[in-house]
Amino acid sequence: MSRVLVVEDEQHLAEGLRFNLEAEGYQVQLVETGEAALEKLTAEAPAFDVVILDVMLPGIDGFGVVSQMRESGQFVPTLILTARGYPDDVLRGFAAGADDYLTKPFDLSILIARIRGLLRRREWLRAASAVPTGEPAEPNGSKDVFTFGEKSVHFDRLELHVRDQVFPLTLMEANVLRYLIEHEGQRVSRKAMLAKVWGLHEDTDTRAIDNFIVRLRRYIEDDPTRPRHLLTVRGVGYRFVASPAG
Amino acid sequence: MVVAGRRRSIAFFIALGIGLISVVVLLYIGWVLLRWHTGILLFLGSLLFLTIIVGVVLNTTFLVREIRRNEQHDAFINAVTHELKTPVASIRLYLETLQTRPVDDIKRREFYRTMVEDSDRLLSTIEQILRTGRIGSSSRRKLHLVPISLSSVIEECLERTRALHRLPQEAIEYRPGPEVTIMGDPDEVRAAVANLIDNAVKYSGSAVKVLVETEAVDDKFVSLRVRDQGPGIPKMELKQIFKRFYRVPGPLATRVKGTGLGLYIVRSVAKRHGGRAWAESEGPGQGSTFILQLPIVKLTK
Repeated sequence: MSRVLVVEDEQHLAEGLRFNLEAEGYQVQLVETGEAALEKLTAEAPAFDVVILDVMLPGIDGFGVVSQMRESGQFVPTLILTARGYPDDVLRGFAAGADDYLTKPFDLSILIARIRGLLRRREWLRAASAVPTGEPAEPNGSKDVFTFGEKSVHFDRLELHVRDQVFPLTLMEANVLRYLIEHEGQRVSRKAMLAKVWGLHEDTDTRAIDNFIVRLRRYIEDDPTRPRHLLTVRGVGYRFVASPAG
Repeated sequence: MVVAGRRRSIAFFIALGIGLISVVVLLYIGWVLLRWHTGILLFLGSLLFLTIIVGVVLNTTFLVREIRRNEQHDAFINAVTHELKTPVASIRLYLETLQTRPVDDIKRREFYRTMVEDSDRLLSTIEQILRTGRIGSSSRRKLHLVPISLSSVIEECLERTRALHRLPQEAIEYRPGPEVTIMGDPDEVRAAVANLIDNAVKYSGSAVKVLVETEAVDDKFVSLRVRDQGPGIPKMELKQIFKRFYRVPGPLATRVKGTGLGLYIVRSVAKRHGGRAWAESEGPGQGSTFILQLPIVKLTK
């Protein structure tokens, strides 16, 4: 069951939100201040899946709450729900680290759709970090390191070591790389990568993958314009080769 | 009303600028004409120099005041946005809930009550804003003066406040003084009294203990005193709080929602009726007392 934290000091709105979110099958916690919200977020387990945050709160305001969350490494999807709808306010919300912004008065079905959207994104990320189904994902012992040539990928630390250089990888880059490495020597279609790495099954645009490959080539390949490890299979997708001949 | 104030200050700055320029020109011409009369030159020079300095000081003062007024205006817009949109958002949320979900009878009644409260809140904000427009503007609306019994107005406001905040009888104590009649506009007097009582309750937080009393002063005035045990007011703010849009800066202003119009209305109503309004407080944490003084027409006793 997804857990939602509602930070709202207007009692009527808070109760109305609680009723509706519980009717949607979520577990709901209400707090009235930003301080209480931060405390709940750090102290409570299991963690919350979504935060709904008002801006005009007693004490620190919603913008402050979300930026403090992000600073302390709390990346719970956060939707700001406020009466303030000027472009400046919206931009401030996103700059502070919010994932979504909705102004009051709001349409109930739209609020719920947006919450679902945030939850869905979280699920995808989770599925991606839990990593592909199939063979266990430890190509090189328990340390989760894969070495090829003078390069090694440290999946546990999200790092790519090329000779004495270290490149940090994003989670998604590492996941793409891991998937390719697991299918070393085989052709991997873009569709399959979308399904296994991103958990997407719909007809999504597959060009996002190409961008990942371009970035990965910049790290791995000595000459990114003439790849030797990350090869393009025309019309299908990609193929990873650990030790290219010649 | 605000726009008019801004126009006036813009006109003032233009006039000041022209004034300063002419002073400089005068100084220059004076220097050319009176070069040989060193004594007169010195005198005139220092005089004009002083004028310029005074002008610059005035200019800065008014500029700062204008900026501050802008800030208050922004804060007011934010507060009003919040006060208008929040109840609408709430009513809408409950209506949509009733429309789309199965709700049992008890919940349904609770939702109706919530919506009624929200619409009351919305209405009172709207009335507050409209009233400010009426009494504050230069268009002097005529007062509909009729004899009013102050104590019945107070009783009425107390009932309303108790019902609105669901307070027990003893949360607000009323000690009536001598029965007096005042000449006033019933709507405005009621608004002033209601604002004072509402404020006392709003700022008291969860432990409401308010004392409302009246007393006659020299048989000419009647004083309504509203005392609360709330957070109190810093000495420097005692006069400021009666200004339009003004709210004491700090966390309290966000905890207790408001538009910054209530006390402005109280003071304006007092003035229009030939009375006055002021606040007393021993400082933060000591509670505060608000006094509304109105002239008595006759003492009935």
